[in-house]
Amino acid sequence: MGHPQSLPSSATAGMERDKTVKVASLTKVFGENKALDCVGFEAGRGELVVLLGRSGSGKSTLLRHLNGLEVPTSGQVQVLGEELSTLTGSSLRRLRSRVGFIFQQFELVPSLTVLENVLTGSLAAVRGPRLGLFGYGKARRLTALEHLETVGLLQLAYQRADTLSGGQQQRVAIARALMQEPEILLADEPVASLDPESSDQVMNLIRDIARSKGLTVVCSLHQVDLALSWADRIVGLRHGKVVLNTVTEDMTREEAMGIYGQVEVATITSEFAAIADELDTPGHRERIARDLAQASAGAGTGRDVP
Amino acid sequence: MTATALTPRATSGIAARAPKRKLSPERISASITLVVLLVLAIQALVAIDISIPKMFESMDNAERFFARVGGVTFPPLGELLHLTALTVGLVLCGTLLAAVLSVPVAILSASNTTPGPAWRWVGRFVGVLTRAVPDVVLAMVFVLMFSLGALPGIMAIGIHSVGMISKMFADAIEQVDEGPRLAIRAAGGTKTQEFVSGVLPQVLPSWVATVLHRNDINLRGSVILGYVGIIGLGREMSYAFKGMDYSLGMGYALVIFALCVLMEVVSSSVRSVMLGHAPTGRGMGDRLVRRFGRKSAQETMANAVQFANPAQALVRPWTKARRRNAVWGVTSVLVVIGSVIVSDIQWRDFITFWGKVPAIAVQFWPPSFGNYEVATMMEAMWKTIAIALAATLLTLVGSVLIGSLAARNVAPNSFIRTTSRFILVVIRGIPEVILAIVLIVITGLGGQAGTLALAICGVGLLGKLIADSFEEVNPGPERALSATGATRLQVFAGATFPQGVRSLIGHTFYLLDTNVRAATILGIVGGGGIGYYLLNAGQGSKYGVVTAIVLMILVTVLVVEGLAMWMRRVFR
Repeated sequence: MGHPQSLPSSATAGMERDKTVKVASLTKVFGENKALDCVGFEAGRGELVVLLGRSGSGKSTLLRHLNGLEVPTSGQVQVLGEELSTLTGSSLRRLRSRVGFIFQQFELVPSLTVLENVLTGSLAAVRGPRLGLFGYGKARRLTALEHLETVGLLQLAYQRADTLSGGQQQRVAIARALMQEPEILLADEPVASLDPESSDQVMNLIRDIARSKGLTVVCSLHQVDLALSWADRIVGLRHGKVVLNTVTEDMTREEAMGIYGQVEVATITSEFAAIADELDTPGHRERIARDLAQASAGAGTGRDVP
Repeated sequence: MTATALTPRATSGIAARAPKRKLSPERISASITLVVLLVLAIQALVAIDISIPKMFESMDNAERFFARVGGVTFPPLGELLHLTALTVGLVLCGTLLAAVLSVPVAILSASNTTPGPAWRWVGRFVGVLTRAVPDVVLAMVFVLMFSLGALPGIMAIGIHSVGMISKMFADAIEQVDEGPRLAIRAAGGTKTQEFVSGVLPQVLPSWVATVLHRNDINLRGSVILGYVGIIGLGREMSYAFKGMDYSLGMGYALVIFALCVLMEVVSSSVRSVMLGHAPTGRGMGDRLVRRFGRKSAQETMANAVQFANPAQALVRPWTKARRRNAVWGVTSVLVVIGSVIVSDIQWRDFITFWGKVPAIAVQFWPPSFGNYEVATMMEAMWKTIAIALAATLLTLVGSVLIGSLAARNVAPNSFIRTTSRFILVVIRGIPEVILAIVLIVITGLGGQAGTLALAICGVGLLGKLIADSFEEVNPGPERALSATGATRLQVFAGATFPQGVRSLIGHTFYLLDTNVRAATILGIVGGGGIGYYLLNAGQGSKYGVVTAIVLMILVTVLVVEGLAMWMRRVFR
């Protein structure tokens, strides 16, 4: 039962080298808004880490820092032994090519074929721009087709990407990430736009690939049950702060819900209070007080996190 | 409202407590500008003197004209085919040149691909400048620099079209989904790779559509290039009319008209077949394609070939869709090669060209009005503006009427709607230069013919835009008004028109913008205004005067364009 931000004490010098992701006192400020507030966590080689939290809690911003899509306001981000703030231009691109990124909205080029989309994952390995299939060479095309077979979509190789279902598109995106031969896989809400069945398929695929290739995965999610059954470790975020960092084996569902429940009740309370002030009539007040009581009772599972 | 207040509560009556309507100074000055423009347009219309009695008077002219024409004659078939191939080839080469030149300009001017704000201004400036100089003027200059043939026409079309094409290209780039670009960046791709793999595939369909559209416009415009000596159908037509051989002239005019319609059909088919765009437009081409085109089979999901393993999948199967794309691709390449061959480009000119630049540049500088009085030139420029204003006003009135009746939610029944849409389509098919020439022959030289030609052709465009924007308004308020028992006209006035009026203003200024340019060009064929002096100066080799006139046109066009941009922003 880890305290917020406490790091695993069992980290020995040997394991230290196996930490592929190390984030320490990372702070990111957008204008007035503190998106990340002194965040720290680590992920070991082959570990499946889930970032859990409500929308707006800073999960995506944290993930985007891990391959240099965002620059920290302060703090350290170390990925694959390299401090990201020291990398620019081609050295940053080289690091990015070792880190696969999977997006919520898949981000495929809709008018290109599935195979062409997968091939764009190898752009960092080739020099200069590529148009069409043949620019990548036969060997890369074969690799891409093999990755498509891995995700079970070989038959759709020459279809336009926008003719595929959401789940299929996300699997294409995974194949595209595999083209990079990545050592780390980052996934930003990979199943938030998918139905439950496709979600399971995609999450299982990511886990199977990670296990077989020994990849570190950092994945943001907002489904507590999915996170509990899938991850090795859960890092809970609330308002840009780490409020939980625990191995899932040691964790109860209530504990995980705590990241949400308490926040939700608090928000609901303040929202109702605001509405009540607005209306400012005795009758309304009473009714709202009643609603409030019911809301709190309904969300009663949300106890304080120890 | 009243001073006879009894209690403190009543003093703050509802009228006093209600918030005052805020009027921004910008909004006020824009409204005043609108009124001033309207007054000027009415004044211009009166000055140009398009009156009904006069129209009847000129009917005699028309009768005499048609008696003189006596019938339409065509040149020998071989010559006709050669001229047609030449015209089409020249226009295609010019448009393609413009497309190639537009890519870097568009990348510089699009907010999401520009290397920096300064570069963005450079890109936009090139776009505005090339758009502002009419292709006729460029052609006149290039005729001096290149040996005769197709090259001056290709260069003129190629440079002038950069303005519009680069603008549309840049708009398309700005509208792409940034996601695929982000994905490539996240995977370690370079900026160039981001553009080529993430942006280009997304914008390509719209780019091709833009180029095809511009090609249609350029084909219409090629008529006028004939008047300054560019080879092709336009030049033969101008010779025929100058030689008073009206029946042959009308023959050429008919051929050009048919060619324009045919080209629209072809570009519509190319759009629908190559790009998977359904021919949903309301242009004549789209209509014909819809009527006669085969229904494209839903073959994308039918996946007949099964791959046993990745190695087998290396060879892309020749599906029906792929075969069709290949056939169209090869055909397009052949057409382009054919165009280059038929245009008979004197490539040596590109080398000798540079040697001639200094000598010719000296002739064009400094600008001067030569023998003309400054007042005469100013008056001629004003006349061009007046023609544009008057034509825009006439178009606006006609378009609101026909355009409203062509909108699904305004037209009382489908017959009226279909008829109105059909009228708009037919009008859009007429090249305005040809209409102007015919009107000039009928009503005589002067502003009337030019104004009428612009006004009529404008209805085709503005009427369609108005009909479309009325159909796109939120139907909720219309239903709400109908539910209160309002009449059809009340619903139109209370719900449809107020919602559509902003885009109406925007579209009208767009039309005014194009009309100023078109009025200049119509002057060349005798439609009155500055164009006449421009042609004279060019033919009389007074290049200083040409420069002076071009600068005047440039300033006018930039002012009108700035005004149009401002209006569109204020009344958005």
